[in-house]
Amino acid sequence: MRGPFYHLAGVEARYHGKAALMVDELALRGGQLNVVAGLNGSGKSTLLNVLAFLMQPTQGTVKFSGKRVRWDRAQLRELRQSVTLVHQEPFLFRGSVALNVAYGAKARGVVGSALQERVRESLELVGLSGFEARSANRLSGGEARRVALARALACNPEVILLDEPLAYVDELSTRIIETLLVTLVDRGVLVVVSSHDPTLGLRLNARTIRLRQGRLIQDSEPQENYAVKSPENRAYAIL
Amino acid sequence: MGSLSQSVVTALSLIFAGDREVYAAVWTSVSTAAWSTVIASLFGLPIGMAIGLSNFPLKRFTVILLNSLMAMPTVVLGLLVFGLLSRQGMLGSFGLLFTPKAIIVGQSLLATPIIANYALSSVRAADIRILPTALTLGAGPMQSFTQLTNEIRFGMMAAVIAGFGRVISEVGVAMMLGGNIRWYTRTMTTAIALETSKGEFAFGLALGIVLMLISFSINIGLSFMQEEHQP
Repeated sequence: MRGPFYHLAGVEARYHGKAALMVDELALRGGQLNVVAGLNGSGKSTLLNVLAFLMQPTQGTVKFSGKRVRWDRAQLRELRQSVTLVHQEPFLFRGSVALNVAYGAKARGVVGSALQERVRESLELVGLSGFEARSANRLSGGEARRVALARALACNPEVILLDEPLAYVDELSTRIIETLLVTLVDRGVLVVVSSHDPTLGLRLNARTIRLRQGRLIQDSEPQENYAVKSPENRAYAIL
Repeated sequence: MGSLSQSVVTALSLIFAGDREVYAAVWTSVSTAAWSTVIASLFGLPIGMAIGLSNFPLKRFTVILLNSLMAMPTVVLGLLVFGLLSRQGMLGSFGLLFTPKAIIVGQSLLATPIIANYALSSVRAADIRILPTALTLGAGPMQSFTQLTNEIRFGMMAAVIAGFGRVISEVGVAMMLGGNIRWYTRTMTTAIALETSKGEFAFGLALGIVLMLISFSINIGLSFMQEEHQP
């Protein structure tokens, strides 16, 4: 097993007393593309928040790189340095695109010309070269999504979590993001993408983790995706 | 009508001629209000942000109390602080009563809930994604808090301006704690009240014009801040 990995056992997370996620066991390996699929309210975002160490489960254990997560402030700070989460509707800070992209890398101690280089490279990866000086709140929806992705990439994370990255983005942004996800996996990054699109796992040849009402109902490796007889896959077969 | 226009002319001539007494009152008003705003900001901004960012059992009650304190009549506040600063009061030994410092104490207490309320509103209006975004990018709690403050800076500035606007135009605290002493604690508002009652309408009007200009400038500044604060 290479790279960082998660191991969730008996994890239950609740929102306002209501169970939002119940996972008996789930392991995520480095250098793997995972699609967390499911309808709205199926627990996808909750799972990503747990993986991003933003939400402590009410029950169960989470291990990261073999270490048990204690959810104390000092350990969380350290763990969050390895992981970045790009929200469904990412928030861009006031100021320029460069300021936004540099934020996470700066928080990790990257400064000076190394920081500038990271910003330039990250923007290039998302197809936004030359956008450094632009104002972050004057971008289109697709551009903002790509800037958020560049900001996550500039952190050089071991794990990248993306909440519905392809929802409401144009065709060009979709193509850029999909290609980028595959590139990241090739570099050994663990990528977890949530999507309500039942075909995404098949399209990206990814491991598909399907949730329904907070429970894991399917966990199939890329080659198994076609064989799984879920209603979503049957619909895809018709298409 | 003729006497009013004549008073306006006299008032303007007092302003443009640099009448010493007019500008002494302006200076006392501006300096005490500025100090009060600084002190009230030091307390009000953190209080408002702390209430906005935390959850505690009596939060709703605290917010209601803070709102109620905004409506505190200045004369009543002046009376309470007078009790504290008078010779028999708890703080009487400091000898602050009828000094500019007494006005600053009273006005600071007046502005603190106003500034805290504005800060609280800014935190509540802030995008809920700011803190999680900063945290997930690896920022520590302090860096995340700094980022939040940066995002709502216009709201914070509006809070400070609102506090200054309130104290520069109040009369109750300045009158009761300052005592309206000429060349010493006489502010624009207390001077207007006194001079008008003495029949020195033009003098009061001159100060009124200056006060109005300051208040309008503050409100214009506040409007710009609030516009800038909109996403």
